[in-house]
Amino acid sequence: MRSLLEQQRTFAARLLEAGSGPLRMEVYRANAFGNWSGALGGAYPVVRALVGAEFFDRLARDFALATPSTSGDLHEYGEQLAPFLERYAHTQDLPYLPDVARLEWLAHRAYYAADPEPLDFSRPTEARLAPACGLLRSNWTVARIWDAHQEGGDPAAVDLCAGPEHVLVHRPGWRVEVRALERGDYRFLERLQAGAGLGPALEAAVAADAAFDARAAFAAWVQTGVITR
Amino acid sequence: MARLGTGIGLRARHYADFMGGARPAAGWLEVHSENYFAAGGRERAVLEALRRDYPVSLHGVGLGLGSAEGYSTRHEDRLCALVERVQPAFVSEHLCWGAAAGRHFNDLLPLPFSREALDLVAGRVARLQERLGRRILVENVSCYVEPGGSEMGEGEFLAALARRTGCGLLLDVNNLYVNQVNLGRDALAQMRALDPASVREIHLAGFFAGEDCLIDTHGARVADPVWRLYDAALALFGPVPTLIEWDTDVPPLAVLLDEAAKAQARLDSPHALAA
Repeated sequence: MRSLLEQQRTFAARLLEAGSGPLRMEVYRANAFGNWSGALGGAYPVVRALVGAEFFDRLARDFALATPSTSGDLHEYGEQLAPFLERYAHTQDLPYLPDVARLEWLAHRAYYAADPEPLDFSRPTEARLAPACGLLRSNWTVARIWDAHQEGGDPAAVDLCAGPEHVLVHRPGWRVEVRALERGDYRFLERLQAGAGLGPALEAAVAADAAFDARAAFAAWVQTGVITR
Repeated sequence: MARLGTGIGLRARHYADFMGGARPAAGWLEVHSENYFAAGGRERAVLEALRRDYPVSLHGVGLGLGSAEGYSTRHEDRLCALVERVQPAFVSEHLCWGAAAGRHFNDLLPLPFSREALDLVAGRVARLQERLGRRILVENVSCYVEPGGSEMGEGEFLAALARRTGCGLLLDVNNLYVNQVNLGRDALAQMRALDPASVREIHLAGFFAGEDCLIDTHGARVADPVWRLYDAALALFGPVPTLIEWDTDVPPLAVLLDEAAKAQARLDSPHALAA
């Protein structure tokens, strides 16, 4: 008799190959690919809107075959979509798509990230970026593309080539927000995220942008909850 | 636990009904554990708020107790942390496998009822119960193909698992019916193989009747033959806490509460007290 391991490997191979095994394997196939596609679409609603729901199903299928799910928690599924899109033949005419995917993964992570703890102003050395925060530099106007696909937005009005953009993803309260930053702010938050410490991060920001007002910027980012302890 | 009566599966669509002021009259709530593994954010906050007003059951869909390879102790760690935080009334997992050949299928895949599978699952259940410091419930799943290699019946396997590990059983009556139609397994005979004291929770849901088989979509009202099987279950096992599950095409909350009321009426009938 075959071992359980051999049996499950055979079942797995049949599940991935259309038409393989008994007819009712199709139910399992539809479940697995449906769950993967649903999870991917949940994490990447803007990518899905940009390519259209019908094509997205095919994309999700190709992605699933190329990039195995490795967690029993579907919220962790799909992190590798951006690098997959870099080499995916059918979307090479949408060169901004991988960066949109990068932005959406940051937003997806932000939604589930740990809640922030406010910074005590008397202990500024504890300053760090809130767990939900993510930063992205893109040659494309990804923050504007994102905005256009939120409720009330107008996708047709976006100038795709007005980049580059320096983007911050954060989560004040429960809703994820995306905004484009000035160069100095971006440099400041990026250095802080990298663990440079408050002083060196502010110095790097001034070096990148002479108009950067260190005191005002620090206070503002603490107030918005982007800088926490 | 009988006083818990009927509960419903909490889904995101109904957050507004639950968080909008007066708490809806559900006996208890069950959630998919994996939806609350996150370190923070809204889902977690909603669960923590509702936990104060309802008994909560954590129902895992991704552990895969019967995966011969690719079983994740990290998944177990995350579940343990959630249980610690929520202190639920029940913790349940499925009798299934989910990973093989370096890939997770994110589905409840069918196990053969073999001694090898029993050894594997019993070891995992015992270890998980030890880590949690509490009993878990294990649920029978719906199947579309017979995996082959079974050496005993489904009921016999579940009974042996409960005996060996002390785990409780979450009996999904709809799944028993689906398997009876799809695979010719006698649903009543499976129930009769169980120790009544081991059955701690019952699931009810609706299926979709496909061309070739029934598909366990959790997307409809409970079907009549499943209600009849439920009556038989209550006669065998007594008034066991019962959950209405609805996962696809989730309807307004009132529909779920209406199904829950139907189950409650049966739980309250003298018929159910016969055991």
